[in-house]
Amino acid sequence: MTEAQIIDHLLAFIAADGASDDDFNTMALALFAYQFENNQPYRRFCQQRERTVRTIKSWRDIPAVPISAFKDITLSCCAPGEAERVFMTSGTTKDGMRGKSHHPTLTIYNASMIKNFEQRVMQDQDKVRMGILFPTEEAMPNSSLAHYLALAVREFGTEDSHYLVDDGGLDTMRVVLELALAEQTGEPYTLLGASYSFVHLMDALKENDEIGFLPAGSRIMDTGGFKGQSRELELDDFYRQLASTFGVPRSNCINMYGMTELSTQFYDWGNDVSPSVKSGPHWVKSRVVNPLTNEELPRGDKGVLAHCDLAHFNVVSTILTEDAGIETDDGFLLLGRADGAEAQGCSMAVEEFLKAAGGNSA
Amino acid sequence: MTEYAGFLPGLSADEIDWQSLNFDRGNEQVEIAVPVLSEAQLDELAARVKQASRTYLKSLTTSQIVSIIDKAIARLLDRRDPYRQKAEKLLPLITGYDSEMIRLGLTQYLKTFRRAELHKFLAEDFANPCILDNFQPMPKGGFAKAMGPDLLVHIWAGNVPGLPLWSLISGLLVKSGTIGKVPSAEPLFAGWFAELLAEIDPKLADCLAIVWWKGGDEAREQALLNQADVVLAYGGNDSLAAIRARTPITTRCLTYGHKISFGLVSRAALDTSKAWSVAHQAAYDVIRYDQQGCYSPHVFFIERGGKVSPREFSQYVAYELACFEQKFPRRALSLEESSGVAAWRYGEEMKASSQAGRDILGDAAGAWSIVHVEEAEDLAPSGLNRTIKIVAMDDLADAVSRIAPFKAYLQTVGIAASPEELYRLADSLGAVGVTRICAIGHMTAPEAGWHHDGRFNLLDLITMTEIEASAEKSAEDFASYVD
Repeated sequence: MTEAQIIDHLLAFIAADGASDDDFNTMALALFAYQFENNQPYRRFCQQRERTVRTIKSWRDIPAVPISAFKDITLSCCAPGEAERVFMTSGTTKDGMRGKSHHPTLTIYNASMIKNFEQRVMQDQDKVRMGILFPTEEAMPNSSLAHYLALAVREFGTEDSHYLVDDGGLDTMRVVLELALAEQTGEPYTLLGASYSFVHLMDALKENDEIGFLPAGSRIMDTGGFKGQSRELELDDFYRQLASTFGVPRSNCINMYGMTELSTQFYDWGNDVSPSVKSGPHWVKSRVVNPLTNEELPRGDKGVLAHCDLAHFNVVSTILTEDAGIETDDGFLLLGRADGAEAQGCSMAVEEFLKAAGGNSA
Repeated sequence: MTEYAGFLPGLSADEIDWQSLNFDRGNEQVEIAVPVLSEAQLDELAARVKQASRTYLKSLTTSQIVSIIDKAIARLLDRRDPYRQKAEKLLPLITGYDSEMIRLGLTQYLKTFRRAELHKFLAEDFANPCILDNFQPMPKGGFAKAMGPDLLVHIWAGNVPGLPLWSLISGLLVKSGTIGKVPSAEPLFAGWFAELLAEIDPKLADCLAIVWWKGGDEAREQALLNQADVVLAYGGNDSLAAIRARTPITTRCLTYGHKISFGLVSRAALDTSKAWSVAHQAAYDVIRYDQQGCYSPHVFFIERGGKVSPREFSQYVAYELACFEQKFPRRALSLEESSGVAAWRYGEEMKASSQAGRDILGDAAGAWSIVHVEEAEDLAPSGLNRTIKIVAMDDLADAVSRIAPFKAYLQTVGIAASPEELYRLADSLGAVGVTRICAIGHMTAPEAGWHHDGRFNLLDLITMTEIEASAEKSAEDFASYVD
């Protein structure tokens, strides 16, 4: 298939609800054939594993590319220079190398995001006043999260939605104003942003003793964890604090799990209980695997998450994450990072060395 | 079953708050109760140890101390001894290392602390070890005595069985009272050793204590650091930086950070009759404690031009690793460790798929992996847990420039080379920060008296008290027999 044909098929697939497992499989295999054909480094990666279009019959057997590989190699079906947008990871490890995802067009990414966001975050709402705790897309053109949030505002935000982070960082005064306004109007309000920004915001509000209570129907959506950018909180404490600070019940505090290496996001149905069960729409499927053998683990065992995201058509659809998880009946529990631990002994591990070498040889 | 960790003279078990650490290795579960002392209890313990160190330990001669340690080691070397039996049974369950590997490793390691070897430790650091017992004449004139600290605090890290013994014994040899903090990954061995010493000489019981707290517990750590005369800490640079920052400025703080080690194989060793044995030894260094030690190799640099090519050598090592996996299987990895190995291996596979001259050898289950690289590249850590990079180069001397940027992190080099090459390379390796050069196959078993990270095991712990010649001379004026 050509790129245009793939895009057409995918748009139809995303739009059509009620796709069966067979439909998913057929689309996944067609997409794999396309990527095997057009993405040379991925083709070699598959061949090394003795997997080809002919030997793969199920989406479960499609070789998953570990996300660390995105830093070493350009994985793209289109010529990288022709991409409309390149999203990059924020990580600064691996000698400053950042993982990249090339998007020849954002059509599919946007379709995936919009449909999914509508169902999982907006739910019964059409438009809502939004406050964004993250920089704008203009400020961070290579951030998939910045684009995601811009899209959320464009598609679902009312005209008086605002970014609450500027060049100087978190604009606490503005937040206080927004919260007060929302309280006055009684209209639902949705605060969206990076998890660590919520921590900074809650710390700042506590200092100023400004506590707002958002009207009924208001929501909070956080994403990305704390990543060493703020103090680390237990999930339970985090959602308890969110609920008590903003007056938004935990069932309306939604966590989005997404990554630069995908074009589709996962959500939970609120955080009454943490960790919550996450799930995605019908064009993404996940497995819990042993990272060394890539074999699926029995349900209930802790492993590493591998995702097959049909919307990530230009790069590779199937990736192996560094996130730990457990499969459940209706999705998976996300249990934090499962990246290389420090050595158990006194040997140096990769991450520590890179940190040291970065400071040493730079 | 529950095993109690720690050694706490003066505190009875019911005064102590115990926390349990559970180790689950498939069929067998072990529960280790570790003591959580209050800050007041830690202060009390420190006072007791200091007192006993001053009044009893310092009254012993070095030979008496050597003799006591030798007896304790002899018991641990005896497979019928209950402590040895406990070690052989529990350490594999706690650390996950193969039990046979632990058994052999323990014996080999413990042998470095027998009487004769302990004298090597002393002789390495003191031209005249009697200086630890009495004032001795000095070449510059006058006399001097080496004084051990009243309280040496050790903060140990990691799961390599028995590792704390190295600094614990070093401290005893200079007559320092000891409080050691054991890591959660292996909380037992140091406590057993303390119990054994106290069995052999009950008066020693008050001279040492073994404690535990959860890594990062600032209050307890601070309580003990405040009491220390000298602090000796192991761990990653971040935790060492925190420990150093909390150590009072008047207290010496010796830190041993994580290190990276590697091997060098000259073409002289790549003869068809010798290369197999070198490959066997290299694989042995890799499998020992699954590369968790600071002395464990991450990379082997192999010189071209021998009868056996670097690529063939990689295949030999692959064969040997496969054999070792049968004999001493790798321990079961945590999800984080598996993920670390997988990330490293996949990263290397991706490079191999886009660059010529790179191959990956490994077993399907991921129990070991070799990355063979034909084009020279810089030193970098492997994914640990039996993952190794083998780099071909035209001249071994080129390896020096490949390691030079990482001076502060280098430790051991295992080497297979001719005598001329050995001495030529040793000089340039030392210049870029390597502190230990040994035969391949011996990387994980340093010899007795080894200067850990190039430092002095004993000298770093002591202070010298000097009687200058002037005092000696002036005293003569005040002698009762003066004319």
